[in-house]
Amino acid sequence: MEALRSRTWIAILGLVMAIAFVMPNFVDVSRLSWWPSAKLNYGLDIQGGLHLVMGVDVAGVVATSVVRQTASLKSEFEKEKITIKDFDTTKAKDGQFTVNVSSIEDAKKIETYIQNSYSTTLQVLAANADSVELKYFDANMLEQKQNVIRQAIETIRNRIDEFGVAEPSITQQGADRILIQLPGMADAEKAKQLINTTAKLDFMVVSYEKSPEELRKLIDEAEKAGGYTLATLKYSEYVARLNQDLASKLPAKTIIYFEKNENAKTMEAGSVAYLLKTDTDLTGDYLDTASVAFGQYGEPEVSMRFNPIGANKFAELTGTHINEQMAVVLDKVVKTAPKINSKIPNGQAVITLGTSSNRDTQLNEAKFIATALRAGSLPASLEQLEERRVGPSLGRDALDKAKTASFIGSILIIIFMIIYYKNMGLISTLGLLINITSIFALLGSLGATLTLPGIAGMALTVGFAVDANVLINERIKEELEKGASLKSAIQEGYHKAMSAIIDSNITVSSTALILLYFGTGPVRGFAVTLLVGIATTLFANVFVSKVIVDNLVHRFGVQKLSV
Amino acid sequence: MSNKNVDSESFGRFDFVKNTGLFGGISVVLVLISLIYLSIRGINYGIDFKGGTEIQVKFNQPVTIEQVRNTVEGLRLGEVGVQSFGEGSEFIIRFIGEKGATDKETNEKLNASISLVKEKLSSSFADNGVDIRRVDTVGPQVGAELKRNGFLAVFYCLLVILIYVSIRFDYKFGPGAVACLFHDTVITLAIFVLVGKEVNVPILAAILSLIGFSLNDTIVVFDRIRETEHLHKNRGYAFIINRAINDMLSRTLITSGTVFVSALSLYLFAGGVVSDIAFAIAVGIFFGTYSSIYVAAPLILVMEKLNLSPRATIRST
Repeated sequence: MEALRSRTWIAILGLVMAIAFVMPNFVDVSRLSWWPSAKLNYGLDIQGGLHLVMGVDVAGVVATSVVRQTASLKSEFEKEKITIKDFDTTKAKDGQFTVNVSSIEDAKKIETYIQNSYSTTLQVLAANADSVELKYFDANMLEQKQNVIRQAIETIRNRIDEFGVAEPSITQQGADRILIQLPGMADAEKAKQLINTTAKLDFMVVSYEKSPEELRKLIDEAEKAGGYTLATLKYSEYVARLNQDLASKLPAKTIIYFEKNENAKTMEAGSVAYLLKTDTDLTGDYLDTASVAFGQYGEPEVSMRFNPIGANKFAELTGTHINEQMAVVLDKVVKTAPKINSKIPNGQAVITLGTSSNRDTQLNEAKFIATALRAGSLPASLEQLEERRVGPSLGRDALDKAKTASFIGSILIIIFMIIYYKNMGLISTLGLLINITSIFALLGSLGATLTLPGIAGMALTVGFAVDANVLINERIKEELEKGASLKSAIQEGYHKAMSAIIDSNITVSSTALILLYFGTGPVRGFAVTLLVGIATTLFANVFVSKVIVDNLVHRFGVQKLSV
Repeated sequence: MSNKNVDSESFGRFDFVKNTGLFGGISVVLVLISLIYLSIRGINYGIDFKGGTEIQVKFNQPVTIEQVRNTVEGLRLGEVGVQSFGEGSEFIIRFIGEKGATDKETNEKLNASISLVKEKLSSSFADNGVDIRRVDTVGPQVGAELKRNGFLAVFYCLLVILIYVSIRFDYKFGPGAVACLFHDTVITLAIFVLVGKEVNVPILAAILSLIGFSLNDTIVVFDRIRETEHLHKNRGYAFIINRAINDMLSRTLITSGTVFVSALSLYLFAGGVVSDIAFAIAVGIFFGTYSSIYVAAPLILVMEKLNLSPRATIRST
């Protein structure tokens, strides 16, 4: 009796939790902060949207970076008075290149120079009389490759922000792929086009001809006159419109761009306006590379290196604008605007970060700025590998149809169970309803995504779940026919059916696990519902149904249950 | 289906073992026909595995399939197929696209062709209300990868099941279970190709989970055979098998029936990919039930006859 009581409480607890987790899908529980609020996610095949897999040309970026490295080395060797013939960059895709020389002395000098100045990035593979073979260290190559993916993701994210898609998901897939999922995307062609345009990086000097207050006032007036805000337009359209409207009121050769406020999720939520001079003409094309570095006291900073032409332009720009701010602008968005302390003659610059924040925040900021700089200087070319696009109407139709079909199937099964197994069929049906509730609850609380094949999996689970009850009920029938009492027939029926129930669930769950591992998108949804269905079947159709039967027989003294 | 009048010494209502030769023969013939058919026709792979584009378009005003076909032909899309879908003027346009010199070029051509088709449809049927409801494009690299993953999934699935069967049952049972799976999968696949459906990733998933369902049926029968064996140690295998199958008959039919009903209503009412998954499962369940009665169990008898040693014991779990 004690065991039955605790089993009853476990069943009730499970049921209450299932109902609690299912609730948010049907009623608004947002007022109760302690109530679980996770709702069931629908996959792109149901809610409609765009699913893109883009290949990133990582090797191409590595090759470009090698070629730039050789250009920079060339001038460094000249300064060191090392004579070389030329560079061989045929193996650039592997991060490897050769310096052709005419004497072993030059080769030795190169070896020493590389070991001193590039101790962490370049390794000397061989130094011969006619050539020196150089290669990036493996760790460095790995980091470069990861950076390429990271900056490509960052660039795409910026583009997607334009659309104001509710929950875009942009993730790395495998070594060199990016998976983009945009729910409810209406204009897929436009989105694809935007994703495919390369990032544009500009260095622009900040103009002080208008104070921040004056600027804010001008913007507010223009917004009011034109009847638009950042919330109603896409960012690029908004900026274009605003600058057009304010053209007569702004100083000549200036433009307004915005910075996304720290902690702000979107541009609309918090944007800082900058008035920028348009006549600097220093773009990402002149930047060789940028990376996170660490200063004298280990504080994170961003180091960047311009190519020889860029170095001259940068020297001139920094020389004439000392104590002014220089904004780093990626795709018309201000990423940072550091102050120029002094003229920077050699094209090697460091952006230090404010000391007000803690080290982690600084490190994140340094990574963020370096990524933005690289996105503009070393844009990775993208290749679309897979596209799946579902219009919202189709997904809704399919969902409705699949729901109806599942409903019809389930009702037929329930009717059959009740007619064929009478009382026990009724209990099985109760188990089935608890089962379905639990499936929804588990899927919701696990944050799983419901796809169309997932719904198929759920409907099949209903058909399959009653298998457990059929096994049990048939056993009970047999035991009763042998002349056993109701109590012992039930005990034996559940007991003897168990091994078959476990067996069948192991086979189905092992195939589902394999599908989960190898499948993608909707198929994973199918596998997840099958797996969840197996767990809930064991709970509802086996455990809970036994608790109900035991309570009826032992606690309420029911003498007869028709099977 | 009640066993009320059956005493413990009778094997039950039907003599399944007697007809082993007949039904075994039918099964062998069916599998052979399926294999030959599959090898001649080939599996009709969809764009998931083959690469290519599928565009589902709906017109608000009636449009005939010939009109659509004439419109998209001549767009240099390679092999184009147009198929009507559901009720009303809804169509699926499939094309593999022109092959480029490299995968990259093929991809680019494929991507360009989508907007080409979209524009052509919009301009040709401007008055018919064009609604592009779905676009699926799979490039050659992803197609090859999906194929590889699909192959691996099938391989591991079979491996896991073989391991499971060999741990759970001894040599007598293993071949029957595996033959059953082979039988069900091959026949289902052949019927799938016969009705002209394409095999895409979700269908592969359906067939793999079918393997799970079908094995489950077989295992329940085996489990019962094992139990019956302990109760009737002095009886021959023919009796034990007949007895076990008869005892489990209503369970086997009811369970298969309920899954079949679920699948059938999905097939009839859900449409699209769900319908295709359900079709594969419904067909598979049908043959799975048949095979666990007429293929799996009698094979135990065959294994028993091949084995000259005294009756083998069955490992406990």
